[in-house]
Order: sequence, then structure tokens, then C-alpha cells
Amino acid sequence: MLDSLPYELPELVTHAPLDLHRSAVLPEWVDWNGHMNVAFYVTAFDQASGTFMRNMGLGRRYVDGKLGMTFVLETHVTYDREMKGGAPMRFTTQLLDRDAKKVHLYHEMFHATEGYLAATNEVIVMNIDYASRRSAPWPAPVAERLETLWLAHMTLSRPAKAGRVMGLQKR
Amino acid sequence: MTSPPYPLNELDLSAPLDRHRATVLPEWIDWNGHMNVGFYVVAFDKATDTLCEQLGVSWDYTREKIGMTFVLEAHVTYDREVKEGDPLRITSQILDHDAKRLHCIHAMYHATEGYLAATNELMLMNIDYATRRSAPWPGFAMERLEKLAEAHRSLPRPPQAGRLIGIKKKQ
Repeated sequence: MLDSLPYELPELVTHAPLDLHRSAVLPEWVDWNGHMNVAFYVTAFDQASGTFMRNMGLGRRYVDGKLGMTFVLETHVTYDREMKGGAPMRFTTQLLDRDAKKVHLYHEMFHATEGYLAATNEVIVMNIDYASRRSAPWPAPVAERLETLWLAHMTLSRPAKAGRVMGLQKR
Repeated sequence: MTSPPYPLNELDLSAPLDRHRATVLPEWIDWNGHMNVGFYVVAFDKATDTLCEQLGVSWDYTREKIGMTFVLEAHVTYDREVKEGDPLRITSQILDHDAKRLHCIHAMYHATEGYLAATNELMLMNIDYATRRSAPWPGFAMERLEKLAEAHRSLPRPPQAGRLIGIKKKQ
């Protein structure tokens, strides 16, 4: 485990849920159905995971410094409503669980001005050692930040759309 | 609608469907030096097009303003990295269906090394072009869907289907 990180960490935000990430639907994310393609919802959510990780102290400098990376192991998306090109997006993020190497996050994507829920994303992200390209415990300052954030998020209610198993409900 | 105003492909009843091939494009690579999580879904979405071509509900279906297929929910497991230029083979298995929906799972393999790179479980819904709301599959698509489902019925259920996301607690 890394005991420290060789750069200054940003001030930790502990809002519950986090409400930090903003973006907009790029023209190249729109498909022949005239809406944001399913894959780019995942890209947009991955950028929200990036914002979460920067808040933990793991941004570009973590990778460029050849210290480590974060890999996604698994992701689950519910597509709740269409988004058109240019639509502004607001994301909220809840820490659902964490251990020595992983976090379990839940994001919600909203249309930033109309307010509706567009999609949700549950994701497992794992810390990776740069040299071995294998899983490794979070650097100590990151583990500390995760615990601080966990204290703020552990009392949030579990989102209804988290923990879904896919299937056709038979009528 | 019993037949569409465009020719249908010959139905491929191999189980699982094993028609889709692709290559990891340079623009799909991220700063970690591997295919980015969003572009796995881009690659899988193209495999969904290949499956929809079998049903007769792909690009022609939308171009003729008959209908579209929307994804309601997606689950991806990221099993192993793939790099720029890697050849991909994607198989598709129908898990379940009803009058409007299709539940399926894709498996992505490195085409020459053979390893499993990722899986993508999906719930698709048929959409009427004019109303942009859910609608029963047209007759020709339902007929093909039933034949494919029958051909896939005896396949074992992949362990990646029906997964619940979470961090397993160690004893």
C-alpha cells in the first residue's frame, strides 16, 4: 500500500449524496434514433466516476505519476428517459460500500434544467497497482478519505434502483 | 406487420449466435492504455445491431420509420483488458422474451487468444416509430425471435447473467 501521494490532494467534499459532476451530451454521442446512444451513457457515468475518484485524490496525476489506476469491474445501467444532443446533465453519487481495494458507487443522471431522471448507474471500481497492473489496496490517504465519506453516506437510504437483477417479470 | 418493406437476412440458428466480429479502434483506448469502459458498450451495441438484423429490426426498420429498439437496462462485466487493434468475437444468446421485450446476453472474446474479455446482459424493448412508445414486436420479428429463442433454449445460462452488483464480504 502507498503510505502517501506525492501531490496535494483537493479539499474533500462530503455532501450526501455528492452533487459535483456536470456535463453535456456531445453531438457524437447521438445515434440514429436521435438520442444519446446507450454506450455513451456509460461514458458519461464513467466521467462521473472520474469526478468521484478525483475527490478521493485519484486523478490524472495518479496515473501520470505511474502510481496506479482505477479499473471498472462491473457496471449496471437503467435507462429511464431519453437525452438529446446538447442536453445538460447533472449527476449525483452515493457511496454504497467500500473495502480495502474497491468501491461500490451509485450515480443518478438528471437532465440539469428539466430535472427528470435520465438514467442510473451502479458500478464497482477497483484500485490497480501501476507496475504490476494488478489489484492493490487504496493508498493510505485515499482509504482515509473513503472512510470519512462513508460516514457521511452510510445513513442515506438505499436507492430503489440499486441492486437490480435483470429479468422479465411474468404477468 | 407480417413482412417488412425490405429483405430479411437468412436466419442463423446457430446457438449461440456467433456472427459478430470487430477490432478495437485507436479512439476506443483511454489513458490506462486499454479499451475504455464506454467503448466496450459501443462494441456490444454493434453486436446488438447484428442480433437485431437477424430479427429484421435493425437500421432498415428505423430508416423505413416503422420502429426502433431501445435498451431499458444493461449490465456489463469487465473480465479482461483488450488493447488497440485486438480482434474481437462477440456471441449473443437469447435468455427470454415477451410481446415487447428481449432479454439477451453477449460475450466478447479476444478472437485469436480466445479469452473472455467482457459480457453484456441487456433488456431491449420494441418502440413504435410514430408514438416513440413501447409496442409489440411486428409479426415478422416475433416469428424470428421465437425461432432463435427455441434454438437457444437448451444453452446453459451463463454465470454472468442475472448478477447482483456488490462487494463480497470476506469472513
